[in-house]
Amino acid sequence: MGFKDLREFIDALDKKGELVRIKEEVDWDLEAGAISRKAYELEGPAVLFEKVKDYPQGFRIFGGSLGTFRRVAIAMGLSPDVSVKEIYAEFERREASPIKPVIIETGPCKENKLLGDEVDLYVLPAPYIHDGDGGRYMGTWDVVISKDPETGWQNWGMYRFMIHNKRFLVGFPRYHSHLGMVLHKKYIPRKEPMPIAVVIGANPLDHMVATTPYGIGVNEAEFSGALAQEPVQLVKCETSDLLVPANAEIIIEGEILPDKVASEGPFGEYPGYRTEGIRMGILCQVKAITFRTSPILTMISLGVPPDDSSIAASLTAGIAIKRRLKKHNIPITDVYAPPEGVTHLIVVGVKRGGAEIARKIGEILTARRADINKIIVVDEDVDPFDFKGVIHALATKCHPIRGIIVEEVEAGKANPITPCYTAEERRAQRGGLAIFDATWPPEWKKETDVPVKSSFEVIYPQNLKEKVMRKWQEYGFKKEVK
Amino acid sequence: MKKEYLTFVQRLEDLVERKEIELTIRDLTPGQRKYDAKVVKAVLSGSPEGLPDGDILWVRSWIGILYPDPWGIKILGEVGEYLSGKPHGETLGVD
Repeated sequence: MGFKDLREFIDALDKKGELVRIKEEVDWDLEAGAISRKAYELEGPAVLFEKVKDYPQGFRIFGGSLGTFRRVAIAMGLSPDVSVKEIYAEFERREASPIKPVIIETGPCKENKLLGDEVDLYVLPAPYIHDGDGGRYMGTWDVVISKDPETGWQNWGMYRFMIHNKRFLVGFPRYHSHLGMVLHKKYIPRKEPMPIAVVIGANPLDHMVATTPYGIGVNEAEFSGALAQEPVQLVKCETSDLLVPANAEIIIEGEILPDKVASEGPFGEYPGYRTEGIRMGILCQVKAITFRTSPILTMISLGVPPDDSSIAASLTAGIAIKRRLKKHNIPITDVYAPPEGVTHLIVVGVKRGGAEIARKIGEILTARRADINKIIVVDEDVDPFDFKGVIHALATKCHPIRGIIVEEVEAGKANPITPCYTAEERRAQRGGLAIFDATWPPEWKKETDVPVKSSFEVIYPQNLKEKVMRKWQEYGFKKEVK
Repeated sequence: MKKEYLTFVQRLEDLVERKEIELTIRDLTPGQRKYDAKVVKAVLSGSPEGLPDGDILWVRSWIGILYPDPWGIKILGEVGEYLSGKPHGETLGVD
């Protein structure tokens, strides 16, 4: 069973030695961001800032919810010591059985309400995270909920939102995001504002599923329930019919304006760089703020991996990609999106490789948008999770000319925060895709063309391998091998 | 005591001296409302000394790099809280 709320999860982290509580006053202006960033880079514990400068006692900031796979395992109720591959497998297993959310009358997120003229975003300790950011980011580790007005579908996504002034947020959901598509197809043509709710400090699994690229019409709340193995409790907003997690710390209700903008960013983003510059962001007029007493504002001091974003996205993007490729009948063995690849680089294992399959994988994964710009395809003798094996395959099996497939990505589809793109490419969201085919060409004959791998597994007879394994410790080796 | 503000520019050349311009500035006064934004009409000078009755404007590039020398700013009035425009207009405007 999952955690009731963020507070229960924080207590669990504390018990498992995965939390530092900082009682000394810390400045929301850079200091909290700097401490959290250093903790990520040391793969250290999550951090709860218990006294924030300029704010009353009890108004807290929390960074690093899922900054390591150990904490993802804890959030899922697993042993912190399980392998990454086991976490992927358990995520996939649970995800296959969605659990519908339940709607309740009220919840802790309604303990305090600021409505209409009372709205003031500065009552909450939003951090100024990196030196040189465009402003104070209220929404980093958030869940942004929006609705398709025709179908009623409520979508969860994770999009950044910064404070513009006391009653406006300005954000950067991309044009090709689900929120962006619904905004442009369903609200802007009617010149209608789009209601949204920015949820901060929900159960960590709610945030994790918000990073998952589920399809249109899919209810992410059902998948958060699946991961927690119990239904998510939702409650209706004060100013719209959007449904939000009842136990969340903070809910900011607002409307995206169809004909108004404000400058947004820049912001140090998940690829590990502050790449894209200031631009006209999506403006959200805040209608209500509701929050728990002694609220905890969740934050990611985003940057070089690992952090909550690169860890969560490794899992959610990796599994979503595997699902999509299977749907298109690609003979997948497994998919791994290493945190260090920041969803720019993924590894796809296939039963049968070659240029045709590699090209098809590229086409499928860039059909709607192209966040990924490098794909390594490996044969089934390589475990995509074994990065040493992947590098070895890339070094030895990828032909430097025929093994690298390069495609252009049309304007509007590429990821504007990809660091290697020029400023012009980023602005136009134009880019490219490189596929590294580290598989043997399928037309190569096993008996004459495919080089023989000199590994223990491949190059020795089965009976000898069994003998060696059986007698391993008798030979004098201390550790048992499997 | 001069107040301090911050603005971001795509190109430093976008800042024009001695001419009325509109820009978004952020208030750097310490406290709970630091970084509050407003859109203002203002006259700028390449240094604070150039506008003795003005305030200080720090300038960052579009990716947030701080230019070492501050400008001067004389705020003539607030234009409003936001700008007119279509969301994602910049992306849609580039082919």
